[in-house]
Amino acid sequence: MRKKDNKVSKGAEGKAWYQAIGSKLWYLFNSLKLTLFVLITLAIVSIFGTVIEQNLPAEDYVARYGEKWARVIFYLHLNDLFHSFTFQALLAALALNIIVCTFERFPPKWKALLNHRSEKFDPNIVDRFSNSETVSLKVPAETAKGRVLKAFARKKFKTMTFSSGSDQLVYAWKGIIGRFGSDVTHISLLLILLGAIVGSVAGYKDYRAVYEGGTIKIPKADFKLRLDKFWIDYYDSGQIKQYNSLLTVMENGKEVLHKQIWVNEPLYFKGIRFYQSSYGVAWDRVNDAGIAIKKKGESDPQAPVTVKWEQLVKMPNSKYSVKLVGYTADFAYDEATGTVYSKSPDANNPAVKLEVYEGGKLVSTPWIFLKYPGIFPAIPNSDTDLVLEGYHGEMYSGISINRDPGTNIVWLGAAVMGIGFILAFFVYHRRVWVRIRGNGKSTEVKIGGMINKNNFVFEREIKEILDSVKSD
Amino acid sequence: MILSLVFFTFSFVFYLITGLLYLGHWLFGKKWLGQIATSMAYVTLLSTTMVLITRASESGHAPFSNLYESMVLFVWATNIGYLAMEYRHKLKVLGAIVMIIEFFAMLSASLLPYRYKSVEPLNPALQNKWHWMMNVLSPFGLQKYAIGWLDFHVFTTFIGYSAFAISFGVSIIYLVKNRYETNGRHNSLVDAFPDARVLDELGYRAIAWGFPFLAVGIVSGAVWANYAWGTYWSWDPKETWSLITWLVYAAYLHARVTRGWRGKRAAYLSIAGFLAVIFLYWGVSFVLPGLHAYA
Repeated sequence: MRKKDNKVSKGAEGKAWYQAIGSKLWYLFNSLKLTLFVLITLAIVSIFGTVIEQNLPAEDYVARYGEKWARVIFYLHLNDLFHSFTFQALLAALALNIIVCTFERFPPKWKALLNHRSEKFDPNIVDRFSNSETVSLKVPAETAKGRVLKAFARKKFKTMTFSSGSDQLVYAWKGIIGRFGSDVTHISLLLILLGAIVGSVAGYKDYRAVYEGGTIKIPKADFKLRLDKFWIDYYDSGQIKQYNSLLTVMENGKEVLHKQIWVNEPLYFKGIRFYQSSYGVAWDRVNDAGIAIKKKGESDPQAPVTVKWEQLVKMPNSKYSVKLVGYTADFAYDEATGTVYSKSPDANNPAVKLEVYEGGKLVSTPWIFLKYPGIFPAIPNSDTDLVLEGYHGEMYSGISINRDPGTNIVWLGAAVMGIGFILAFFVYHRRVWVRIRGNGKSTEVKIGGMINKNNFVFEREIKEILDSVKSD
Repeated sequence: MILSLVFFTFSFVFYLITGLLYLGHWLFGKKWLGQIATSMAYVTLLSTTMVLITRASESGHAPFSNLYESMVLFVWATNIGYLAMEYRHKLKVLGAIVMIIEFFAMLSASLLPYRYKSVEPLNPALQNKWHWMMNVLSPFGLQKYAIGWLDFHVFTTFIGYSAFAISFGVSIIYLVKNRYETNGRHNSLVDAFPDARVLDELGYRAIAWGFPFLAVGIVSGAVWANYAWGTYWSWDPKETWSLITWLVYAAYLHARVTRGWRGKRAAYLSIAGFLAVIFLYWGVSFVLPGLHAYA
């Protein structure tokens, strides 16, 4: 990159050091080569963020890459690349680059395009373009001029006419607005970055798992959410079609809104979105369990009775009632503290805890095991044992909570970008000059001009205009 | 299942024939060969369109939901893009390269393992239809034909990919042609190509279509992700690679207006951009884990 620039070094002599640095920085950020550097660097750096899986627990990096490389990954923040200082500095450089370039280029362009009609018209300007054509007509100059104007009008060009000596001059233009496409696009990028910043400063993301009938308190909001129902739809083939949650918004204890959400259909309430993001089977409670009586001496247990969660049920053919009060998916007992816990969320060793009553009196609180029936007697000193025959797990619905006030700014930016692209890629600014020089008998029409992009279109257009001038 | 397979097989053979015809036109410079090649390209386009239509009617949703279907979409869009370019710029010699790329794309689609090809119902994350369109169509009982972000997102993205594929082909030819022009060497096959100046412009025109379409694809994906995943951007490998691709082409566009970067370096950027597209399309699906793993 060229470090020295005439403008800067000339100005720098009379300036304080900070002004000199300031103008050097300004010059740096005004450079297209910096743009190329930042764009390509951003692209290359981003590759690391896809090859190295992001935001894993530290030990996973050590396991995958070894301690030495894991250290490098953490030192360079490659585990959370897109939030690292390096990446954000690159984005900031790009933003500064855009801002400085816009400040530097937009005002003169705006002025020039605003005043393009009052430019001094040089009769010989037509000779200067590579895109130029000449034709000679056997009509008077005035007629030729009329035809030229008509041809331009048909192509929706705006025109101005001048005369210089015996020459008639026409200046025609079209698609000026296309010149602002790049500026509009650049501003849209700044808007999108702004939206992202607003989102990360003022928004939050959260997640809650909730059982049917349960409520979740929404962080930083004055309402609650109740899950009325969660269910899964299946295709006939057995594949999962959709996950659904029926939600109720509760405000001050009152139901305000019911809404069924599914993947692709979130609930939006007071600036916060709620998404169906996962589901699962609980490891600490069940919906109901099948409990059966097994009498001493009999080989098989009797028919099981369905006992709902926290409900007291009289067991037939016995003097006992049971209440279902606990469940663990993967039973484990901690001897030190005397507590029961679940080793994992998976149902590897499911067990339920019962309260057994005899005539209204609590006589036992056993854990009974699905896989090990009768391993411990459920009721001490009794000829009756209880066995767990099966259960229906309780499903929970995983709801993602997301508040992002920057989203709308991002969408605005995207819309502006769309306009910018249409202007930048599909609206071409053409400027055409025509010199009509008559000598009484015949008239020479010379046409030339320029286009800011897409020369093919232009070459053809010039030919078409000339054709209609000739044939008319 | 059967009908779309029949059309696929026909299209597959047609692309080979079309490619050979264009190749013959390029090698022997016979005008009639070029004319047959062009009409054959239209027949092939029709046949590819039929693959998409029959596939949609067999699966009951737009044929954009797995790798095989998206390959056919890619081939279809590239064919249209090429024919549009041929029509606008009256250039047939590029057809040989484009149609042979198409043939290999079809070949790779047909070689995909079964699980990337089978007709599957849409999984929960892919089910998205526009409510307004359902509302418009439901009085006529046509709501099952409503489309949604899935269709829009995939379609616009693949128009982008196709444009990039064309610009990739053009850029390679540009580099060859440019070398011959600067060395003043001649070769009847290379001479058949348009001037380097024209090729540079053509490559740019293709990217001028691809770049905004990729952007629309990215933005529509973000809008959809905001519905389905709860956030418009999550740095998923597919998202990140689409951004990488977009950045490379942004660099290309800026290179073309920067002194010293015009021409050759811009062409290299265009080639790098298409390599990024290939990785974005295939590499991410096969190599990197992430939310886009299904396509």
